Amino acid sequence: MHTFVQALILGVLTGGVYALMSTGQTLVFGVMRVVNVAQGMLVILSAYLSYTLHQKLGIDPFATIVIVMPAMFAVGVLIQLAFIRPVKRERTEISFEQTLLIMFALAVGIEGLVDLCYTAEYRSITTSYANSSWTVAGYTFSVVRVLAFALAVVLLAALWLLLNKTEFGRAVRATVQNPTSARLLGVDTERIGALGMGLGISLAGASGAVFGLIYPFNANSSYDLVSRLLSIVVLGGLGSVIGAVVGSLTLGVAEAVVAATISPVWAPFTFLVVLMVVLLVRPQGLFGAVERGAL
Amino acid sequence: MRRRILSGRALGAGCVAAALIAGAAACSSGGGAAAGAVPAGGAAAAAGSRQPLVIGISLSLTGDFGDTGKAAERGYELWADQVNKSGGILGRPVELKIVDDTTSATQVVTNYESLITQDHVDLVFGPVSSLLTVPAARVAARYGYAFLEPAGGAQTVFDLHLHNLFLAQASPVLDLGQSFVDYILSLPASQRPKTAAYSSVDNPFASPVVALVQQQLQAAGIKTVLSQTYPSEQADLGPVVARVVAAKPDLVVDGTQGEDGYETVKDFVQQKFSPRFLFMPNDASDPVDFPAQVGIGNVDGIYTADTWSPLAKDPGNAAFIKAYLGQYGGTADQIDPTSAEAYTCGEVLQEVAAKTGSVANAAIISALHAGTFSTIEGTLSWNADGATDGHGTLLLQWVNHELVPVYPVADAAAPPLNPKPAWGA
Repeated sequence: MHTFVQALILGVLTGGVYALMSTGQTLVFGVMRVVNVAQGMLVILSAYLSYTLHQKLGIDPFATIVIVMPAMFAVGVLIQLAFIRPVKRERTEISFEQTLLIMFALAVGIEGLVDLCYTAEYRSITTSYANSSWTVAGYTFSVVRVLAFALAVVLLAALWLLLNKTEFGRAVRATVQNPTSARLLGVDTERIGALGMGLGISLAGASGAVFGLIYPFNANSSYDLVSRLLSIVVLGGLGSVIGAVVGSLTLGVAEAVVAATISPVWAPFTFLVVLMVVLLVRPQGLFGAVERGAL
Repeated sequence: MRRRILSGRALGAGCVAAALIAGAAACSSGGGAAAGAVPAGGAAAAAGSRQPLVIGISLSLTGDFGDTGKAAERGYELWADQVNKSGGILGRPVELKIVDDTTSATQVVTNYESLITQDHVDLVFGPVSSLLTVPAARVAARYGYAFLEPAGGAQTVFDLHLHNLFLAQASPVLDLGQSFVDYILSLPASQRPKTAAYSSVDNPFASPVVALVQQQLQAAGIKTVLSQTYPSEQADLGPVVARVVAAKPDLVVDGTQGEDGYETVKDFVQQKFSPRFLFMPNDASDPVDFPAQVGIGNVDGIYTADTWSPLAKDPGNAAFIKAYLGQYGGTADQIDPTSAEAYTCGEVLQEVAAKTGSVANAAIISALHAGTFSTIEGTLSWNADGATDGHGTLLLQWVNHELVPVYPVADAAAPPLNPKPAWGA
């Protein structure tokens, strides 16, 4: 029982970190209809930025988020304006595939640059509290994971407020649900698209610092990451923020509990079984809409 | 030493490429006629002149194994410089022809084909990693070239059953845990661990090593309380470590690879579990990255293993280190073991040439199978498949924040530290 509860704690905390990463990805899909296969690489790029700021300037990794998030927001806007918008403007039937390839090419390009700058050596963001943990009622809580989970809660709450309580949020949701109607009602969907892309990728920026604190990483780490993020987003429903959060927690808990109580061999498989069952019953995912967005 | 390993994705791609190449090589070598296409030993050797002795080598100077490839390059070049200063081999100056394979199993085949059939090099040395050694060794075998190789220690290399292949390490990967087993069994019964947990990533460089250790310790009466293998796709090792912690073993044998080792130690620290004995055959032997990644305060007491150490007392080791530092700078603990392994290839060649008075490939192959050779990796001899005997592995331990040999006693620079100090001590 102790092992089960300990695994549950680990799973929830890990799920929180994945929620931060996958929410950005689902947001990009919801707003732009772009499957952002570069999200994993952008998380790793952010981890490197945070690592460098910590190493060179001594800034605490959590504080680096104040710099990395806006920087990645700018990267997102740039990607939208320079690469996605020209393709989307054509409105051809193959623009979806084109954007997929563009994001893949960006991921490969960034990976090459990162390898060039940092080599393939693994890096970790190490702080005085990186290995600390609290013990409560016999259960250990990693300080870094708890702080990461708290950060995820704060940022996701802020995202919820932004999407549901502001003019910008209404415009985003309108764009997600029906871009044509949104345009007819005066919403500048191209501008919203750029800002939405920036917002989604800025969440990768926030999660990069957290990822680097918990896991050693190099450019190659992005491949495992993006396959997980895509699975989470599909489970939750493409374009659904709440779906991404639920999917992340499902992945975190399922893998941790199975690994700790049954066998690690079955842990990755378990999540895939959950994914397959859900898709058989609800092909649009847990919270996905059959037609368009579900923010 | 950290055995070079690709990520799951890259490994998969690499294996497919290696399989295709191996298949192509097998098809093309079926007739055996190609072996006679190029005279083994090269034209210069046959002439017996004072022309340079050209040794062709393909190294991963870029790509995933770039760092290891450059380390091997330093070892090869250091040996070549030294041997040339002392008059070369049989009076012939050594000239290295090193080409980059970009860590590609396809390119490594092209490189050795080109070195042998177009450049007509006299001899070849091996690349880095078992993944690249397998296809490269097949090419060398096809043309009858001796294949001294520094870093292909996985069982897959010896499963080729090639007569021309010789590993320039004191032991193959599979025997990496042997010195630890020998040490544990040398302890008085009262000091031995009573229970053990074995945890390993599913990987050819890790799980077979752990399994062999488990088999021997279990047979010696140490009770196994947990034995688990986790897939390389396991994203978070917290639950894997939690399982070990729940088993409360005296001894943990953890077969990690790459970043897994760093994460595992962090998880042990965070879950506040410090076993009496912790053996991590692979990652903990990196003297620079391991303490940097897990924190220098968390390394003491961890056992690891390697075939070479800057503190080893093998003949020529001190001179090698002095020459290395003189040529490349840095400190002894920063020397990548791959440099020592590459240097060892040269040492063996030098010795076999002196013994036989020949640098013809057939003579070298025959002499290597027959004799023993003294190197900075210890005394080497080979079985029919090119694997060394496995008794030269050094048991290393982190003591006072330094990685030192602690067993066998003859090679020890410090007594073993038992039990393992608490984390952060």
